[in-house]
Amino acid sequence: MSFVQCSGLKKTYSVGGEEVKALDDVSLNIEHGDFIAICGPSGSGKSTLANVIGGLDQPDQGSVMVDGIDLANAKDSILSEYRNKKIGFVFQSFNLQAHETTLENVIAPLTVAGVGKKQERRERGMKALERVGLSDRAKHKPTQLSGGQRQRVAIARALVNDPQLIIADEPTGNLDSSRGADVITELKRLNAEGITLIIITHDASVAAQATRIIEIKDGKIVERAGTK
Amino acid sequence: MKFIDQFRTGLRNLARQKLRTSLTIFAIVIGAVSVTVMLSLVTSTKSFLVSSSEKIGMDTQVIVTGTSGLNYRESQWIGPDGSGKKIDADVLAAVEKLNNVQSATLYLAGSMFDSYKVDDQELTMKNVGVEGYTPNGTIKHILIAGSELSDSSNGSGVLISSDLASDLGFKGNETALIGKDVSFHYRKDMGPPDAPKADEVGKIIGVTSSDRGSVLSVDLDWAVEFQTWPNPQNNQNNQNNQNNQNNQNNQNNQNNQNGQNNQNGQNNQNNQNGQNNQNEQTQDQSQIDRMGYGSIWVSVDQKKNVDGVLSEIKQLGFGAAAGKEEIDSQSTAFTIIGAILGGIGAIALLVAAIGVVNTMVMATLERTREIGIMRAIGATKKTIRRLFRVEAGVLGFTGGLFGVILSYGFAIGLNQILNKQLADSGITDRDIVSISPQIALIVMLITTMIGMLAGSLPARRAANMDPVEALRYE
Repeated sequence: MSFVQCSGLKKTYSVGGEEVKALDDVSLNIEHGDFIAICGPSGSGKSTLANVIGGLDQPDQGSVMVDGIDLANAKDSILSEYRNKKIGFVFQSFNLQAHETTLENVIAPLTVAGVGKKQERRERGMKALERVGLSDRAKHKPTQLSGGQRQRVAIARALVNDPQLIIADEPTGNLDSSRGADVITELKRLNAEGITLIIITHDASVAAQATRIIEIKDGKIVERAGTK
Repeated sequence: MKFIDQFRTGLRNLARQKLRTSLTIFAIVIGAVSVTVMLSLVTSTKSFLVSSSEKIGMDTQVIVTGTSGLNYRESQWIGPDGSGKKIDADVLAAVEKLNNVQSATLYLAGSMFDSYKVDDQELTMKNVGVEGYTPNGTIKHILIAGSELSDSSNGSGVLISSDLASDLGFKGNETALIGKDVSFHYRKDMGPPDAPKADEVGKIIGVTSSDRGSVLSVDLDWAVEFQTWPNPQNNQNNQNNQNNQNNQNNQNNQNNQNGQNNQNGQNNQNNQNGQNNQNEQTQDQSQIDRMGYGSIWVSVDQKKNVDGVLSEIKQLGFGAAAGKEEIDSQSTAFTIIGAILGGIGAIALLVAAIGVVNTMVMATLERTREIGIMRAIGATKKTIRRLFRVEAGVLGFTGGLFGVILSYGFAIGLNQILNKQLADSGITDRDIVSISPQIALIVMLITTMIGMLAGSLPARRAANMDPVEALRYE
């Protein structure tokens, strides 16, 4: 059984009184350890697909099973636990809490889940920061870091709960090419360690590094590139 | 998410908007102070009044009057006006025989003097009452100096209320009044104009608090003497006796001339007249004998037996009023005042609650993206809801805490003012306004609950945000 199984996903948004099909009968399977790039023009539905797989959104129709969890019909507590334990999100705009330190940002998923004592959380947070090479920036605020460093902090936050899947939505969108490359290298390294990776990107060079490329247009999968 | 982490997060978030947080807390502080001070003021004053009343045995006191339907306050100063049933020693004896009656005394109040004098100071007795009772422990006072009336005070001991002591210039030095002579000058309109009585002279043995008004207390027997005048008719009779005697002498002389028989007959008649006059003088010498006493004050052995005694006295056909009814009515009045003042405080808290709602709504708008991030990393709707509720609760708790602290300060200030006023009234109690730890805790609990309640709506709004939309929020 595939790690991610999407079948007949439909999702419609109402924008200015007009219905927009974000997902239109999308079916997709992803295996453990895959590195998937989801590409497509703006508004094509790629982020919606990632959000549905990530448990941030639910489809209007169809089913989505991830590691045996029926996300389409799951209630909030199940979805939240799923996002906390199995998924790590990396966003284009980093989405770090500006008033918290790097370490506090990283251990936020542990705090939300009520994991262990503060000291234990900090130790796990430091390990995650070490994995992305930023343990020396633990006490810095995000505003004191470069864009690349911020994204690595976001990756550390995504890693801290040892997720099975990382979903990165335009992770290099706000970075220059050099720092973007570093981030992709970091993500690829994690994928090599066994974490399934889904990257939503416009950048063909980023997509080219994936094991599979899924092209979406008008809510439909129009092309599936073969495995590298 | 653990509560301690929610609490820490709440504190940190509040600290990010110091001015807004301070203003919101300030509003809660005002509400908390209003409720705390008003509740404490009412509770303390009520408890002070009740304990003061119990000190003088008012809770077990019953006043028996000749007129039915009077309340305790009306019964206190009632004088013998002949309108109701006569109160006399026979009634006292009947009352004393009732079950659970510990002691009782006839009571007489009047205003037969126009001035009183201590040392060289003579002061008017307008609005000053004189009460008389048997000092057997039925009637007690809050003493500021000296002692209660007793049998050993030789019937001419006087208790003077502290306001009168103050008028005499002994404010704060009431003890110096003890042992001084006090003389009472009768009103000119009292008694027969042709038989003015000399001033009454007594000795001050105690100074009482003026909570029952301006009053001088004396032994009952002496008070009876105050209201006793020789009957004008008796004066006439005395005059007649004198005339009779003269007549007798004249007639004796005449009899010497006219014969012994007539003389004897005349003498017998005169003597008879004289005897009758003597009898009238005894019957009419006191209006008390004719109209009776004002009331009988009764001390019941236990508070629970007061109703039974009241009922038995009423069955005897007399009016009866219990001191505890007065205490209850005062307590009820204070409860009503407390409810009104508490209501005002509650309005202040309601306004503060609106401030909390406003603050939290602003917080949800400002932190929309943060909410999205928290949802993305696994926070449930419940967690988000709790986070905002705890934050609002922290606002309420902090406001309540500062409010209570400030209230203690207010209580100190209020007590300083009240202590002065109590001292002026001759009452020795001090610091009557006290904020009990229970009230302090209840107020902090209420403000916390109000904060959390006020934060509920914004918290629900935050929790129900679509995480995807929240993450996109700029």
